[in-house]
Amino acid sequence: MATITERTKSEVKEIVYSFFAEECEADIEQINDNTSIINDLDGDSLMFLELIEIFKKKYNLDIELKVIGKYAVKHPVATIGQLIEMQLLIIEHENRLMELDK
Amino acid sequence: MADTSLSFIFPAFTRDYIDHPGQNLPGFDEQFSQLLHTGAETVDSVLSDFHFNGQTFPEDELRTQYLTYIYSCTASVILRKHNFYPLYTAGYSMGIYAAMFDAGVVSFETGLELIRLAYHSLLDSLKIGRFGMGILIGLNSEDIQQLINHFGLRVEITNQNAPHSFVVSGFREDLTKLLEHSKEEGALHVRDLGVSLPYHSRFVKEGAMEFARRIGHLKFSSQGNQIISLIDQTILVTAESMRNEVIRNLFQPLNWFSTNRMMLDKKITTFVECGTSKDLVKNAKFVDGNYRFFALDSFLLQ
Repeated sequence: MATITERTKSEVKEIVYSFFAEECEADIEQINDNTSIINDLDGDSLMFLELIEIFKKKYNLDIELKVIGKYAVKHPVATIGQLIEMQLLIIEHENRLMELDK
Repeated sequence: MADTSLSFIFPAFTRDYIDHPGQNLPGFDEQFSQLLHTGAETVDSVLSDFHFNGQTFPEDELRTQYLTYIYSCTASVILRKHNFYPLYTAGYSMGIYAAMFDAGVVSFETGLELIRLAYHSLLDSLKIGRFGMGILIGLNSEDIQQLINHFGLRVEITNQNAPHSFVVSGFREDLTKLLEHSKEEGALHVRDLGVSLPYHSRFVKEGAMEFARRIGHLKFSSQGNQIISLIDQTILVTAESMRNEVIRNLFQPLNWFSTNRMMLDKKITTFVECGTSKDLVKNAKFVDGNYRFFALDSFLLQ
């Protein structure tokens, strides 16, 4: 289990904002934690998957995609802020993500 | 002279022409119109009604295939006019016909005829049941196969795009069940591809055999550049192996991921998606390697 520091939070937020600004050709200044990924940015689940791969490599995470998928079914993500929260949980708990629901 | 680091990939059919990559390329519209005119004269006069911002026949599977082929052949012609010659050409799924045109194996008109005969041969063979194809991302092949076996579904894995990205084909009601169960099992993305034929599966083997009989009179030549089989990643050399490939491509599973990897092992560092979509460009983000995957416009305008 990784410890989430303020630096980690800042890194994750920066990566997520930059990623969506580039992928969705949006002005990064217009993106905030309440921005809707689908309605405001026209994002999709493939982008979510791509972000997971980016974080898996950056933080050397040991997590199966289906664990994230099962968690996402119970905890759907709609906004940038929610997505950042989920990414932090993935980094912190990796394959034990589902244990959060027990 | 072929560029030994370059490969052209011809994608499967698509219905989406919004922001298509050819729109800003000089000469693209003229070349497309010329081939569209030939296509309308050869297989279907209604094709001449097509317009990028108007009538695109999205509900008509056969016309969609013709139009994707015409678009991809236009891309091939434009790339040749810019003196780009790849070492390898590959056709993803039904992109095989455009790949064969690009490699000089079949004429433009023969490619259209192959599409027509393949579609009708398969449709004629499937008299009972409704069929379809879907895409599943986030599970591995063992997970998917377990679901198929556990629920006794008449569905097959028919392509692997990336380590956790698969295409499935089969009976529509079972396909729908598989997509639903896959979501519950942790798939991050599932999508019905909205087609009525279960390409690359055993369900169309009988139709493929009929197709083999119907294409006996069509001419296949030895190619100008090398074509890679998506079925077993062999390099196709003879005209007969090309003919055989278009037949087995209909009913045998493909593996795009292995094909992509094979070309990377052969030192290909530049791939160009020669069609309307950018799906293979997006897919490349999930396949590790030291290479670049371009859409047609970004390659030519770089």
